[in-house]
Amino acid sequence: MSEEGVTPTELRRVWDLPTRLFHWSLATCVAVGWYLGEYRGFDTIELHFFFGYAIGGLVAFRILWGFVGAPASRLSALLVSPATLLNYLREIGKPRPSYWAGHAPLGSLSVLALLALLAVQATTGLFIEDDALFAGGPLSGSVDAKTQGTLAQIHFIGSRLILAMVALHLLAIAFYSIWKEEDLIGPMISGWKKVRTDHKAASNEATSTDAAD
Amino acid sequence: MKTLVKATLIVAAATAMASPALSDPLEDAITARRGYYQVILSNFGPIVGMAKGAVEYDAEKAATFANTLQTLSMLNNGHMWPAGSDNAAMDGKPRALPKIWEDFPGVQEKGQAWAAAVGELASVAGDGLDALRSKVGAVGESCGACHDTYRAKSF
Ligand code: HEC
Ligand code: HEM
Repeated sequence: MSEEGVTPTELRRVWDLPTRLFHWSLATCVAVGWYLGEYRGFDTIELHFFFGYAIGGLVAFRILWGFVGAPASRLSALLVSPATLLNYLREIGKPRPSYWAGHAPLGSLSVLALLALLAVQATTGLFIEDDALFAGGPLSGSVDAKTQGTLAQIHFIGSRLILAMVALHLLAIAFYSIWKEEDLIGPMISGWKKVRTDHKAASNEATSTDAAD
Repeated sequence: MKTLVKATLIVAAATAMASPALSDPLEDAITARRGYYQVILSNFGPIVGMAKGAVEYDAEKAATFANTLQTLSMLNNGHMWPAGSDNAAMDGKPRALPKIWEDFPGVQEKGQAWAAAVGELASVAGDGLDALRSKVGAVGESCGACHDTYRAKSF
């Protein structure tokens, strides 16, 4: 901790505009869509489908952007190596900012997990129906009852896992803010983040050991 | 000896023929309640169809379906839920969760909420499309409230 001042940092625009718009649209759609699924009603179930499609579209966009977006948004930056992850985990508890030029390694994995969960959620949704509300996804007629039941079970479990991931996400942000004194919300709004000058944009290109170790 | 063999064969054959009739009471109960819900569905479906505009509203038909639904809500179905007929005990057949047998008051509460919603629907179903629409949602949601708690998603 005493070496805190050793790491030279600079302000860099790590999050490009499409990534930021994606992020806040997804956050809104997941919150509203989740609510409309959990408390689905006769008059609102179609809205649940609508938000589900929007989420499916956003996830598809994000995967595409993972190939063409700014360095920190690339999938190659999110696919961290076990070594990078382990190195980072060793220092994650230290009460100082990571100054990471993008998602820190653990966060990268959680982004991938959440995108995968949402993709499964939007896909299973297409095939299931609610027999009490007489409404279902556009492909609900194309599978037999048993398969549909299994997919509905996956949709249900998926909705719990998504909730858990969102909670974890918020806790992590609080942990960074309070314990590590690093603001992660501001950069996702403005795009600008204070990062280590020696840090390449893609997290797995960086050496996670710094002068402090 | 020969007679004994013959007698045994006759008894065996008779048993074999009789067994389809002597079906499992648990399976019968499951068949009965699934049929019961299918009948409910077949009366509620057309009402939902009218509410959603998929079928043209017909006051007489709407009232008949809603009244039938109300009659169905008053049927005693207690015998359709023998202990041991849950989805954990009868793997792969019913969707009734064991929770039903652990929480009868809870099930009854959901059943009563449903019956109340059906009663309200029946009292207005013949009074025009708007009146029908105003009460259909609560019925569907009360079906769902019971399913979410007491029915498994998958078989
Ligand atoms: C008090 C609880 C409760 C209420 C209210 C209720 N259901 Fe059910 N329903 C169940 C249970 C439990 C099962 C699963 C039975 C089984 O498989 O063992 C079921 C099964 C079903 C099934 C599947 C039948 C089959 O073929 O397997 C349909 C369809 C259904 N319900 C429709 C409805 C509709 C429509 C309503 C409202 C108009 C409704 N239910 C209200 C508890 C309820
Ligand atoms: C991708 C984001 C989605 C999320 C977060 C989500 C979330 C949820 C939640 C929380 C439930 C309630 C689960 C339960 O209590 O059983 C639910 C149910 C449901 N969802 Fe989704 N959903 C999504 C996408 C979709 C899509 C795209 C469709 C269809 C086009 C869909 C169709 C349904 C249906 C039919 C139900 C009722 C299932 C049942 O009765 O068992 N969902 N969803």
